[in-house]
Amino acid sequence: MSLSNADDIALSEISATGPQPPLPKAGLVGRSPGQQAWARLRRDRVATVSGAVLILFVVVALAAPLIQRLYGVGPQQQFQDALDGLGMPLGYAGGITGGHWFGLEPGLGRDIFIRMVYGLRTSLVIAVAAAVITTLIGVAAGVLAGYLGGWVGAVIGWVTDFALAMPFLVVALALVPTVTLRFYGPRQAEPAVFRAGLLIVVFAVFGWTGAARLVRGQIVSLREREFVEAARASGVGLGHMLFRQLLPNTWAPILVSFSLAVPSYVTGEAVLSFLGIGIVDPTPDFGAMIYRSIDYLQTDPTYVFFPGVTIFLLVLAFNLFGDSLRDALDPKSSR
Amino acid sequence: MRLRTAAAGGAVLALALTLSACTKNTGQHDTAGNTRTSTGVIDTNPKDSLGPAAEVPDARKGGTFYVLKQAKISHLDPQRIYSFVGLMTAPLYSRSLTTWKDDGKGHLTLVGDLATTPGTDVNKDCKTWQFTIKDGLKFEDGTAITAKDIAYGIARSFDPDLTGGPTYLQEWLANTPQFDTAWHFTPKAAALPPGLTAPDDKTLRFEFKMPHCDLPFAASLPSSAPLEPDKDTGVNLDSQPLSSGPYRVTKNVPGVELDLERNQYWDPATDPVRHQYPDKFVFSFGPDRDAANNRMISDSGPDQSALAWDDVPSSLMARVVGDTNLHDQVLTSPTPSEARLSINVQRVTDLSVRQALNYAIDRSDLIKTLGGPTVASPVTTLMPPGTIGYQQYDAYPAGDTGDIAKAKQLLAGKTPELVLGSADDSVDLEIATQLKNNLEKAGFKITVKPIPEDSKLDETKEKNNPWDLYVDNWAADWPSGASILPPLFDGRKIQDSGNSDTSYVDDPAIDSEFDRVLALDPAKQGPEWAKLDQRIMKELAPAVPLYVDVRYELHGSKAGGLFIGSVFGYPAFTNAFVKA
Amino acid sequence: MLRFLVKRLLSAILVLLAVSVLSFLMFFALPRDPVTAMCPKNCDAQRLERVRQELGLSDPLYQQYVGYMKGIFVGRDLNSAQGGHCDAPCLGYSYVNSEPVTHTLTRVLPVTLSIVIPAAVLWFGLGVGLGMTSALRRGTLLDRLAIGFSLTGASLQLYFVGAVLLLVFSYTLHVVPVPHYTSILVDPLRWADGLVLAWVTLAFLFCAIYARLSRAQMVETLSEDFVRTARAKGLPRSTVYGRHALRAAITPLITIAGMDVGAALGGTVVTETTFGLQGLGRTAWDAVREGDLPTIMATVLIAAVFIVVANIVVDVLYAAIDPRVRLR
Repeated sequence: MSLSNADDIALSEISATGPQPPLPKAGLVGRSPGQQAWARLRRDRVATVSGAVLILFVVVALAAPLIQRLYGVGPQQQFQDALDGLGMPLGYAGGITGGHWFGLEPGLGRDIFIRMVYGLRTSLVIAVAAAVITTLIGVAAGVLAGYLGGWVGAVIGWVTDFALAMPFLVVALALVPTVTLRFYGPRQAEPAVFRAGLLIVVFAVFGWTGAARLVRGQIVSLREREFVEAARASGVGLGHMLFRQLLPNTWAPILVSFSLAVPSYVTGEAVLSFLGIGIVDPTPDFGAMIYRSIDYLQTDPTYVFFPGVTIFLLVLAFNLFGDSLRDALDPKSSR
Repeated sequence: MRLRTAAAGGAVLALALTLSACTKNTGQHDTAGNTRTSTGVIDTNPKDSLGPAAEVPDARKGGTFYVLKQAKISHLDPQRIYSFVGLMTAPLYSRSLTTWKDDGKGHLTLVGDLATTPGTDVNKDCKTWQFTIKDGLKFEDGTAITAKDIAYGIARSFDPDLTGGPTYLQEWLANTPQFDTAWHFTPKAAALPPGLTAPDDKTLRFEFKMPHCDLPFAASLPSSAPLEPDKDTGVNLDSQPLSSGPYRVTKNVPGVELDLERNQYWDPATDPVRHQYPDKFVFSFGPDRDAANNRMISDSGPDQSALAWDDVPSSLMARVVGDTNLHDQVLTSPTPSEARLSINVQRVTDLSVRQALNYAIDRSDLIKTLGGPTVASPVTTLMPPGTIGYQQYDAYPAGDTGDIAKAKQLLAGKTPELVLGSADDSVDLEIATQLKNNLEKAGFKITVKPIPEDSKLDETKEKNNPWDLYVDNWAADWPSGASILPPLFDGRKIQDSGNSDTSYVDDPAIDSEFDRVLALDPAKQGPEWAKLDQRIMKELAPAVPLYVDVRYELHGSKAGGLFIGSVFGYPAFTNAFVKA
Repeated sequence: MLRFLVKRLLSAILVLLAVSVLSFLMFFALPRDPVTAMCPKNCDAQRLERVRQELGLSDPLYQQYVGYMKGIFVGRDLNSAQGGHCDAPCLGYSYVNSEPVTHTLTRVLPVTLSIVIPAAVLWFGLGVGLGMTSALRRGTLLDRLAIGFSLTGASLQLYFVGAVLLLVFSYTLHVVPVPHYTSILVDPLRWADGLVLAWVTLAFLFCAIYARLSRAQMVETLSEDFVRTARAKGLPRSTVYGRHALRAAITPLITIAGMDVGAALGGTVVTETTFGLQGLGRTAWDAVREGDLPTIMATVLIAAVFIVVANIVVDVLYAAIDPRVRLR
């Protein structure tokens, strides 16, 4: 599980963008730092390629039902006639045929391609939602702790330490099945959405500490800057101070933190499946698929290949994009 | 560019995987048929209870025999053993009143182990049983084993601190399931529970209030192992049991390693089944199924004289079955552990629906899902084929793939909505998915409800559990219908929780049949149980028999003398040796 | 400095207390009932209740909690079902493993330490090495290779890489033995032999962040005035890079390393599962599955101690290395 506190420190290297007096609205000369960053990002080939790959993944995930209609096979359909007596797919390379592009799952004989398309959807929804929520909580906690300091800061700091010290996996193992049982009647099928939502909550409870520490550090350094003091002297309200003065100057590291959080939740979700508490059958899920396929390394390498390479590309694209984003936002750190 | 190098890394990985994927699977596997039926009886001829056991062909003394297993053995204390690995390991260091002479091919007889015969039914009413203890029996410290030590061992199992083991002897002696309140055990004291006496060093008597014709079978479990009262260390006996068998525990690191070395005081002349071939047995815990079996495939170093206790995983099966070089290292046999789809008859009250379920089931696809004939073997009877007196029948003949038309006909247009409770681990959920898709073809509407794996067993054992269907497993403690049908279908035993009758069948006519057969001489019970099995399925259809587990294990090329025990269906170590 | 330490320690103790209370409560919310697990067949409700009482699991929660916590500091008297008297520090008696939990911990802790510490040294060294190399050879093929390598690692999953490496190097080529644990005190060679695969895998996966960070730091530092001054003074390259530049770059690296090691010591479930090693993570995991309360409490607390201590150590180190940081 890499809900590590490493990233936030790495990110804190991107110094807060510094004093930014209100920008000239329709200047003909200057470009805002945001525009500059965007331009830099567009010039960066790595960013363009990885960004395109990410968009492709998102489109595939969104268009899953459409793809199913075109492809003609559903994620729950079984093709056990195409399996041998041991439940292994017949034919070449894990049962790849014109009808089953990536072959069939051993055992149940479901189509790997369409399950990957739907699985991508589950994984991305969980990862993006978890990243959004943890970032929001983290920013809120970080800003409050950093700006107000004092006992509020101390309490938030303590809660952060506490969340770090609670063993994530043990809590997840205790929480996921228990909560599921409490929410749904014993004869009610639990919708896949619920399990996914639960995983998002579990990630949210533990994942916000990184963003909180990062933002807190940024705010603390900004607090002493002249432009903040000037605003304070002019007697602006807390809201104005936070939303007009402080936050606009920390969005860069937050954005990067977000882009790096998403892949860490994609892999985190796979780890939960690896340990048997992630998304469960029959809901198609990327993490669960990778976990199950890895055992077939020797007997059905095709089954390992497609999900394995896809998750590699997905995480790599996110990592590369996050890197480029950082470079674009902070020209100092780039080559 | 970073991009290109990272992509290159991925490409290397991809290439490696692709290269190994380019062989065509034509489905030609050599999976030799493996059926086995038991012809077992109680052997009362004292000669057959004598040692030494017949030599194993080609066996030699010496060497270290390794056993690789993922999970530790939960208890070593003979009075607390109930896990399969415990039951199969116990004979190495502990002896019981009776034991099974098993050739691993179906010839199975019950003989005396500590006792000279498998017990004498003094008044021919199964209420008073007497055992005579053999001469020359010794503990690992050289002290002679007496009837009093065996009685003390049984008395110990009344101690509520020492839970976990079988409770037959205690319940029969106290004549109540609340045996631990009926009689209080005091450690190291000479007092014995009611009905258990040791009039002299060589005689042990059981006097029951009710007839228990199965006592000789129950006495084969390790809970009848002897213990010197002075050597009783309470809960700590679990880490260092006192040996009465051919080996003794010399090192025990829980969850990591268990070493057994020769016990010099064990006399082969007193033992009808055990040998003392290897110098040492080393159990090493930790490696998972994949790791252990991959090590057997590699077959190098000390692993050559090792057994991977955990079955070859279905994901690795095609590799093992397809490799003829490995066939000498395979240990395979169907087991007496049977899975059935229990139907909760309190909820599914319509017999035709239960019969339709039986017709609709497609065992062929189910077994593919599980990993093929090397993992599971289909059954249509409630008793597994290894049971004494077993007769094959199919109450709802529908072939391997099920008879959807016949099922639809029985349902007559109804679409029963049923909830299938399933443990939430990946294998069980795959089975549930398979069953759902299978049964829905016949018009059922199935909801799969995942239950946390750890509590599934407890919850389906509650009388008022909310589910209609669930997959249950039953592995009997001895291969007689008496330890299968009455526990599973005797309605008088139904309580609020902890039920084995998870179909909740409660039929007085069947119950009185149980009483009638149980009072028969065990040797005559076999065919009667087979008839009753058929009657329950035809009249009540309380379950869909699915499959028996097939054991399929790998050992190293120098591990010899192993066979799959007929009683529990796990590898037996009594004949094990290390090849030169 | 002293004031800071005292404040930090007090807060840490509060964190540990909160962790202990929460994991205690969590246990009782688990779906698994340890008592039914102990009595697999033929146990009715009345008998189960008696077993529960023997194990002290039917006492009021606060009483059980206080008893457990008291045991850690002053020892406690357990009944015969739990092995009798238990000396301080008493972490309870595991009714699943039939041994005092302190025995379990002294057995599994060295395993986890042996996995994490050498792996951390390796991933730190590898990461910083790669990062420095690419910073000094900016824009060359070497730079690209180094960063590409570390990014590949960061985008792979541990169980995936572990499984592939095991298959190739252990099962097929027999280059490395199947992972196993031997105490370093018994046979250092066997110790290293049995764990090398785990170290390499962890290092490959974890080195990326260090490589990226040390590269960025180096690049930035190299352009600063004091480095230029040092170079101009005619100091040898190695002194400049090694003493001046690296020193400035190392502070954030130490921070991450401390956090990572703390977190890894507390949660190596996946590593231990992949390589079949019985360490702290795996033990905690098994304990949750088996409903083994004393073992859950002990493993969770130990893991929390690691994380909390790592946090403090990092703060202190930060001040020691970088005089600009003042601890308040």
